[in-house]
Amino acid sequence: MKSDLFYARSQKFLTILLMVGFLFPAAPVWADNADAREIIWKVKDRYDGESRIATMEMILIDKKGNERIRTVRTHQKDRGNDTLKLAFFISPPDVKDAAFLTYDYDNDYYEPDRDDDQWLYLPALKKSKRIATVDRSGSFMGSDFTYSDMTSLDLEDYDFKLIKTQSVEDKETWLIEALPKTDEVMEETGYTKSILFIRQDNHVVIRAIHFVKEGGRLKYMEVKKLKLIDKIWTPTEINMTTKKGKITLHRTILKYHDIKYNEELDDSFFTVQRMERGL
Amino acid sequence: MKKGYGIFFAIICMLAVFTMPLFAGDEPLEELLGGFEDGTTPVTGETEVKTVPSVLELHGASVLSSAFNYARNAPDEGETEYRGFSRLRELLELEVDMRLSGGWKARISGKGYYDAIYSVRDRNEYSREVLDTYEKEAEFNEVYLQGPLSDRLDIKAGRQTVVWGKSDNIRVTDILNPLDSREPGMVDIKYLRLPVTMTRLDRHWGNWYLTGVLIHEMRFSKRPVFGSDFFPLSSPQPQEKEPANNPANTQYALALNGIFGVGDIAFYAADIFDDKWHKEENWRRHKRIQMAGLAADAVKGNWLFKAEAAYFDNLRYSAFPDKDKTRYDILAGVEYRGFSETLLSLEISNRHINEFEKEMGNLPDSVREDEFQSALRLNRDFRNETLHLNCLLSLFDTNGRGGGYQRFWVEYDLSDSVKATTGLVDYIPGDKSPFHVIGDNDRVFAELRYSF
Repeated sequence: MKSDLFYARSQKFLTILLMVGFLFPAAPVWADNADAREIIWKVKDRYDGESRIATMEMILIDKKGNERIRTVRTHQKDRGNDTLKLAFFISPPDVKDAAFLTYDYDNDYYEPDRDDDQWLYLPALKKSKRIATVDRSGSFMGSDFTYSDMTSLDLEDYDFKLIKTQSVEDKETWLIEALPKTDEVMEETGYTKSILFIRQDNHVVIRAIHFVKEGGRLKYMEVKKLKLIDKIWTPTEINMTTKKGKITLHRTILKYHDIKYNEELDDSFFTVQRMERGL
Repeated sequence: MKKGYGIFFAIICMLAVFTMPLFAGDEPLEELLGGFEDGTTPVTGETEVKTVPSVLELHGASVLSSAFNYARNAPDEGETEYRGFSRLRELLELEVDMRLSGGWKARISGKGYYDAIYSVRDRNEYSREVLDTYEKEAEFNEVYLQGPLSDRLDIKAGRQTVVWGKSDNIRVTDILNPLDSREPGMVDIKYLRLPVTMTRLDRHWGNWYLTGVLIHEMRFSKRPVFGSDFFPLSSPQPQEKEPANNPANTQYALALNGIFGVGDIAFYAADIFDDKWHKEENWRRHKRIQMAGLAADAVKGNWLFKAEAAYFDNLRYSAFPDKDKTRYDILAGVEYRGFSETLLSLEISNRHINEFEKEMGNLPDSVREDEFQSALRLNRDFRNETLHLNCLLSLFDTNGRGGGYQRFWVEYDLSDSVKATTGLVDYIPGDKSPFHVIGDNDRVFAELRYSF
């Protein structure tokens, strides 16, 4: 069976990209580690709407330039600190009608290790099934993003350090280094270190370099298009390139279309029954 | 050892080699920053993106497949030659979806195939039953209308598939749709369950949803026919007398599903015709049976645990066509997704027949008082999910003496629309029918699928 978790968490992608997207304006250029952490916390707490509907187009490009395109219609709604998500696959034809339902729990003091609840509808089997948590360092939908990239990080798992400032396409950015505190976190995310580029004017992460634990590879994330939609800065095109040395091994382009924030979505929309009914 | 389970385990060992890690060192920051420069090659195909499905859509697939029997012995005088190529099939599948107002939608789908291997080899070599059953086929698959009657009540009426249970490889509570069992181990999972005409109502309350099903169509599993290399007997079976498609024979099924944080649970009840026939007065007949069952799963980290149980009443067997029997089926299973891009699954089940009598062990019943079955499955994706490796080992009896099969196959996505598949099925001989006669039916197969 083709890997079957690729429908999940697409909306979380926006979350992680914006996670470090909003620095407070008066932050000093040469902040210490505590300031870097404060920056990151402000990013995490940024308002990103109560609900969101979008179509995600994922373009996978191998080193020979061959392209594959996957399209998913995604729905997301906040419920307290938790997030409900339902994604329907539109293309390619052989996975059309597949759907993925996720209850993404915000792990807190009382439930620090609660796993997300996930169900997958497989059109070939005409069946919904519950899914166990996958290895988070694995590829998301065959792309250069990992499942870990698609989820919001637990900031307490990292040490943050402000490295320097740099201009990127005429925009000033802070470069913040994120180091996993434990081998366990490193194992779970698949990254030994990340460097985040945060735009100073709108506080969006526009670039990142991830140091992959295995294979001697680096991953370069870059926001190519950024739009203000319903007063929320939203990346609408993002590249992730996997490289070994100077050689590009694989590249993924994510494009978001038809993004709508704060649409009315009832909790009953995020059910197995609704997932089976399809779009 | 011809019939070992070596293929399955050799693959697992190969995977271990593939997953050996390599480690990278750090590079100077300025050098790393240069890596953004050459990742900006424009992407071709800046096309209009369809953000929602169209009102009317046509999809389908064209599938060319072939199989080669590599282990079969020479036939006896008068028997059909099944060595060598056994399939050269072109299958066409069409599906029309209509999206109507108010959340209603309709689907009409069907498939048809023609297998040229019979003409290529010599049609006179095959029995009439084989040609009628395997050479060509055209039928409707799903044909239904679906929509909401209210906010929390849905209806789906027409030919459809309703899957019960949590297991993926062994059927315990999944009893509503018959199967295409004409070539065990060779049928695409997409075509394995045969849709049946039903009316289905779903009502949702909080964490629970109730499903009521009226089954209108009498449809039973497709099985190997006389003359086929999968047919276990040397003479034809008596004719099948199927119940008539009339309101008096309507079958009933009810399911209550609960969705919870730690796992899901489902309760089932059904009053249906037994898919398995018994011989009575020189006819093959299907007895009306009752079933009550439950299924549950629970997730913990990378592990998913599954369990199913079912009780069947009013079962009939050919050895005692005037006696009703009862049976308990139980299943336990586990899935593990902790390895990158990998799914490992194990399911085991037992079927216990109450008041078993040893004559029931003979053909055509060929059942045991306790029938143990296990299924071990491995799926792994490579190369950004363009290459998919799959292994399935299915065995009867605790030590495999009942027989079974192991299937190994690789799928490669040549593009979004074209997929190539190749693999083999190794039938393991045993004393359970049909494995006592199909042990040398081993096949290698290849398939090219174009989806649109």
